[in-house]
Amino acid sequence: MEIIEEKQDAISIFKLNGRLDSNTSQGFEKKIFDAISDGSKNMIIDFKDLDYISSAGLRVILKATKALNREEGKIMLCAMQDYVKEVFEIAGFDSFLPIVGTVDDALQSF
Amino acid sequence: MPQKKYSFKLKSSLSELDKLCQNVEKFGHTIGLSKKFIFEINLALDELFTNIISYGFKDDEEHVIKITILPQNDTLCLCIEDDGIPFNPAEVQEPDLKCSIEECKIGGLGIHLAKNLMDEVCYERCGDKNILTLKKTIAETESN
Repeated sequence: MEIIEEKQDAISIFKLNGRLDSNTSQGFEKKIFDAISDGSKNMIIDFKDLDYISSAGLRVILKATKALNREEGKIMLCAMQDYVKEVFEIAGFDSFLPIVGTVDDALQSF
Repeated sequence: MPQKKYSFKLKSSLSELDKLCQNVEKFGHTIGLSKKFIFEINLALDELFTNIISYGFKDDEEHVIKITILPQNDTLCLCIEDDGIPFNPAEVQEPDLKCSIEECKIGGLGIHLAKNLMDEVCYERCGDKNILTLKKTIAETESN
């Protein structure tokens, strides 16, 4: 999986490309937590080019959301394929995670 | 739809997930399944396979997990066979999904996903093997 990290104002944007599974989730976790250690409090995860997610990927998102809540920060998820969104819904994560259509929608929420 | 059995073997290592995905995609394209349907069976097999690798083996030996896919009329049957400790995912308690984010735990979520993506999950123990059979109806629009 490829992870492209960008920064817009004080918001870290992670664009995911490929598969987020048990093999790739650790690399993703490290990137997110490195950014939190560096002081990032607001994040956007862009799912547009993500083809696959398993519970290993959900675990990282959950852990990051909890960490950012403690910092009084915020995480926004955007541009998911329908079947990726379905995974968040089955897991019940859509009840506490904001999922929006585009990166611009996510940026406007900060 | 051709009623042809497709099976492959995976070693007991998480690095085999790519092989699992490649095989499922190859099979899915052969019988014309939609991207969404392929994703769903891929995810169910991934979660159950990952669970077997993580908890199923109490030794450091390499084990083999056999996956069989069999289209039967409008249903796709998936079978996972392993020689790990007896474990019935169908009996695992559902996680509490109505909890707040701070109480939300990730344990059991993989099996919850697999069960929800499939229409039927059936377990049997045969000798020293776990045999898990999953079924999912293929909608009219799925195959062509």
